[in-house]
Amino acid sequence: MSSTTATRNAIASRFEGLLGSACVVSEPASLERYAIEGSVPGAVLLPEDAEQIASALRIAGEERWPVVPFGGGTHQHIGRVAEDADVVLSTERMNTIAAYDPGDLTIALAAGATVAQARAACAQHRQLLPIEAGAGSTIGGAMAVAATGPLQCAFGGIREFCIGVTFVTGDGLPGRGGGRVVKNVAGYDLMKLMIGSHGSLGVITSANFKLFPMPPVTATFLCEFDSAAALFRFRDSLVKSPMSPLCAEVISPAAAEYLKESEPRDPDSWSPNGALAPQTPWLLALRFAASDRVLARLRHDLASFTSQEIRAHDENRFWGAVSQLEKHVLARHPNAMFFQVSLPISESAAMIEAAEASATNFNFVAGVVGRATVGSFTVVFLPLAIDPPAVTQFAGAASDFRSRLSRAASAVVVRCPREAKHHFDIWGSTPTDIELMRKIKRALDPYSILNRGRFFVE
Amino acid sequence: MFSRSIPGKLRKIVGRDAVLDRPADLMLYEYDGSLARGAPQYVVFPQSTEQVSELVKFAAREGLSIVPRGAGTGLSGGSIARNGGIVLAFARMNRILEIDVPNLRATVQPGVVNLELSNALAPHGFYFAPDPSSQKACTIGGNVAENSGGPHTLAYGVTVNHVTGLEVVLPDGRIAQLGGNAGSAAGYDLTGFFVGSEGTLGIATAITVKITRLPESVATLLAIYDNVQNAAESVVALTSAGITPAAIEMLDGWTLRAVEASVHAGYPLDSAAVLLIEVEGLREMVEEHAEAIQALCRKSGAREVRVARDETERQLLWKGRKTAFGAIGRISHSYYVQDGVIPRTRIPETLAKIEEIGRKYSLTIGNIFHAGDGNLHPLILFDSRDADQTQRTLDAGREILEFCISVGGSITGEHGVGMEKQDLMCSLFTDSEREIMLRLRQCFNPNSLLNPEKMLPSPRLCREAVSPGHASLG
Amino acid sequence: MSSDTPTAGAAGHDRHVLEMGESHFAGPDRPSWDLYATCVHCGLCLNHCPTYRALGMEMDSPRGRIYQVLQVDAGRLPIGDSFVTHIDRCLDCRACETACPSGVQYGHIVERARAQIEQHYKRPWPARLVRSIFFRHVLGNPVRVATTARLLRLYQRSGAQRLARASGLLRLLGMSEVEALQPTIDDHFFFDQIGKVFPAEGELRARVALHAGCIASVAFSALNHATIRVLTKNGVEVWVPPGQNCCGALQAHAGFREEARRLARENIAAMLDDRFDAIVTNAAGCGSTLKDYGDLLHEDARHERAEAFAGKVKDVTEFLQHLGLRQPTRTLNLKAAYQDPCHLAHGQRVRSEPRDLLRRIGLKLEEMPNADQCCGSAGSYNVTQNELSMKILDAKMKDIATTSAELIVTANVGCMLQLRAGMKRIGRLTPVKHVVEVLDECY
Repeated sequence: MSSTTATRNAIASRFEGLLGSACVVSEPASLERYAIEGSVPGAVLLPEDAEQIASALRIAGEERWPVVPFGGGTHQHIGRVAEDADVVLSTERMNTIAAYDPGDLTIALAAGATVAQARAACAQHRQLLPIEAGAGSTIGGAMAVAATGPLQCAFGGIREFCIGVTFVTGDGLPGRGGGRVVKNVAGYDLMKLMIGSHGSLGVITSANFKLFPMPPVTATFLCEFDSAAALFRFRDSLVKSPMSPLCAEVISPAAAEYLKESEPRDPDSWSPNGALAPQTPWLLALRFAASDRVLARLRHDLASFTSQEIRAHDENRFWGAVSQLEKHVLARHPNAMFFQVSLPISESAAMIEAAEASATNFNFVAGVVGRATVGSFTVVFLPLAIDPPAVTQFAGAASDFRSRLSRAASAVVVRCPREAKHHFDIWGSTPTDIELMRKIKRALDPYSILNRGRFFVE
Repeated sequence: MFSRSIPGKLRKIVGRDAVLDRPADLMLYEYDGSLARGAPQYVVFPQSTEQVSELVKFAAREGLSIVPRGAGTGLSGGSIARNGGIVLAFARMNRILEIDVPNLRATVQPGVVNLELSNALAPHGFYFAPDPSSQKACTIGGNVAENSGGPHTLAYGVTVNHVTGLEVVLPDGRIAQLGGNAGSAAGYDLTGFFVGSEGTLGIATAITVKITRLPESVATLLAIYDNVQNAAESVVALTSAGITPAAIEMLDGWTLRAVEASVHAGYPLDSAAVLLIEVEGLREMVEEHAEAIQALCRKSGAREVRVARDETERQLLWKGRKTAFGAIGRISHSYYVQDGVIPRTRIPETLAKIEEIGRKYSLTIGNIFHAGDGNLHPLILFDSRDADQTQRTLDAGREILEFCISVGGSITGEHGVGMEKQDLMCSLFTDSEREIMLRLRQCFNPNSLLNPEKMLPSPRLCREAVSPGHASLG
Repeated sequence: MSSDTPTAGAAGHDRHVLEMGESHFAGPDRPSWDLYATCVHCGLCLNHCPTYRALGMEMDSPRGRIYQVLQVDAGRLPIGDSFVTHIDRCLDCRACETACPSGVQYGHIVERARAQIEQHYKRPWPARLVRSIFFRHVLGNPVRVATTARLLRLYQRSGAQRLARASGLLRLLGMSEVEALQPTIDDHFFFDQIGKVFPAEGELRARVALHAGCIASVAFSALNHATIRVLTKNGVEVWVPPGQNCCGALQAHAGFREEARRLARENIAAMLDDRFDAIVTNAAGCGSTLKDYGDLLHEDARHERAEAFAGKVKDVTEFLQHLGLRQPTRTLNLKAAYQDPCHLAHGQRVRSEPRDLLRRIGLKLEEMPNADQCCGSAGSYNVTQNELSMKILDAKMKDIATTSAELIVTANVGCMLQLRAGMKRIGRLTPVKHVVEVLDECY
């Protein structure tokens, strides 16, 4: 379905009649902002509540118009190449903090509220919503992609602290799971189903979370190792120790280059012919929330591993840089390929070896950051400058890397050049039963209009 | 060798000694830990995933429903055979399949007893964190079905936070894998969705869980209050002060007097409420938090705060809490435990309401609860031989839960909906919300042969349940 | 079997109100509503019950047995084969009482259920005959116990035993397991010590009456002598009062409560005396019954004497630990594991005392998993329910094997015999001793 001007007008006017013209964007110039990997949608809807979303979806369903749920637009690069979207359903006008009860440590947020906005509100009461997603990301978007960051080490992913969700199914039925209380087993756990479903089952309209006290003081110990193997040996003793870090982030030498304020060196420097690799250490950044007395104990226990302890301003700058890593890499290498890897933690070192080997074979250099104690990593394949990989080499590298991992691991390509996506499946494999996933997709999106063609099970 | 009768065919699948079909035996499977009753036609004890699959296929062919059962300690009738059929009892699938310390995982069969997994992990310095009060008897399969909690879920989360992978048998006999050993897998989180589904989606036959390190140090405190309001304020003060205790348990005055009469845990008889608070972690941190907690409790009106000085004192304080239900059993032959949840800021008014409900129905109601998560367990005392009193008890229970809903809470925090609270699902969820849940159930369990008539009420039941108080239902 | 068909349908589901029909219980020793209704069927007892652990079925769990009692009382279940099978299978180890949060007196329920079975159920005639001879005519009659013991001794010493074992006759009769459990009969029975007084060594710290026991008197005289030595060396004057008889435990457990009451009255008459600071026993099974005379005789006119007697009974480990041991003359530097006798740990709540005594003489105690789980001995259970008993014993031996103990200690002769048989089954030579025997080596 190509978005000719005629169909665009037809779509727009259909929704204007329903929602009012103020809620429909149809001028081509304004539509650009909502392009999905370069393809501009037919119309953008700006609903103000779940009811409007439900009625819009019912029409889209009748007409079989593909719909892309849209939050901050920060993660729309994830997924297979979509059919051109006729309708983008943006939650940007549903951006309120619906309820915040600091005494109960719970918050209710509309889907279009940004993560930053929600975290700032909580910070005023010295509370923490441990969702980590890029600048501009919305709550609905972070839920849909199951965004994670270094805090996953202490708080787990969003699934561990999301206590309620509302959404609208592909055929316009309002749904809900959980509620506003922190412990609740009434009905099916629809939070789990919506988190990480990449907008394929419904449009998330609001979510409730339990909050955590903001740690008053933190400190970060930077531990350096000669090799990934040495780092993970230390990690093995860490998980058996009584220490409970907030973050335990692995940063590979190549990735560390993008944390610096100076211009990063070319990936070519790390290629087997380059000379830099051996001198640069593997880094494990351990962040703790602790009083002075507890810190003294930790300092003592970690003394032989720590090269540097950073606090306050330096510490914030360090973790800020870690959160900006993807942005920094992309600024320099728009063609970089990013994997989200999840595996049993004992396979971490082998996975890194596999990444390095596959990258080398296909003219990339691998960089790794991730949660050492969780087994959740971002692996980036940085294209060499002197001999950049061809489109098919992205597919080759991804397949080669996956073939070196155990069956228990999954490696989803969350970002790569659009053209490369035609040559392989960005989702890879999963242990979870595909047939059940297909049934669920059909049950909640019977006309298959939500993010058509982009998700796993189609 | 085996007859063509149904029991004969069942025996062919699981073996001669693994099928019960005599009424005198079936009678023993008509109960669980709740007040519900219902006898199955057959009880079968599978010993492998393949047998479960064969049994399910057989049941589907015969049109018999299947109800999975762990230890039968559930408090909402989840394992009761509501309309006959086969009870699948997992007592013989009770092996720990793997303890994988390097990956912080263990894989178990569903019949493994919760505490036995922790006991097996202890020599490695680990344990399984969910600790329902029935942990010395209940099975992990049952914990998965009910998404069980326990006192320490405040810090560590409930069962779903600790399950990463499942092997399940679907009602058509197909064996499906959901998730695995890794923390997350690509695709829908069907593992998370399955946990807490009360046996209505499939039968878990292997369960992979996270294992948790045993804490280096533990401190247990008892804070004593002259009024419930101050105790409730302490809960809010603690949770918002940057301290996440491992557990905060509350006993009201009536209950602690009942407990003290049988256990002598040292609870003061003239107080209105006590909080039992536990902190765990690094030694230095535990010491600091214990001091901070004492100060906070005093500030919010605690008359006295005691700190257990050694393991014996710690055990004594917990003994009072852990034997509380039993202590009440000594006072009354039957009691009905409720399981409401409320926002933690609404504790005082909810306790007042419960007292009012007790007066209205002329019933004694004690309160024991996981205060840290706002999960109340009102205990209503009654005599099960007295039909009128039994009815009043059920009505009072319902009214308490309706109040929980009205303050933004829920009808169950850890016991499940089962068959006791189905009609309340009509008040808690709208028609469309329930329809979505029904559609999802159908993806797994299209003919409702698996644990029928549980959790999700039929639309008809909801139409009948509509009363003036529930006018908002569409 | 038609007699097992419940008379009321099991189909009434979603039922909250209990409908009580015509009870099948009648006569003395009825399990009362007040006794069994404290059970709220929470199921916390299940995993503590050895038969549930071995068989995995509700009918053989404490909760299930109580439910069956309730159903018989409500008229839904007859006192038929099914009920009798499951009540018979109970070890009466009372581990469920330790686990029960509601304080259900399970032992009292099951003993009454057995008394009802004796009154209302007709066992096959061979079983009836054997039970009647054993419980009514042998036990509780020192002369007949001695005669039986002499016959057994003859079998053991004459070569008949060797012959029976070698010929495979025992295996043929299905008796080889049972036969392995019989005690070796003593050369000199302890009965001739009854009536004697053994003076304390050194300063007199206490005066006690020793309950010698019946089987112990023919098969464990040495243990009784060791008990006397340990007590006297710790400053205790020991009387073995005449007129005492078997404690009645086996009879009460088997449902012969009238027999048990007769023996209780004899023992009270013989041993309740202000001169004694305590009535001491070295058999946990006897101690638990002696301490329960108050319940056994609760309808007796002089029932306060039974309460007074019960209040004075002390297990020898309990008595010694509370008295305080004198400095031992030697210590034992060994790794040991202690197996809790059920009737000491669950029946009398005595757990720490024997362990403390063992540590006092230098033993390094290692805890085995499930130390307070029954070994399957349970009075005459290992004979009457041999197959199940062996299953339970095998689980126990697995737990013992996880320790590095060089010595297994317990505090009841039945447990000792069973554990020794278990060692034989797994081909190990680790010795199994009574706490008192070990103490005796150190004085």
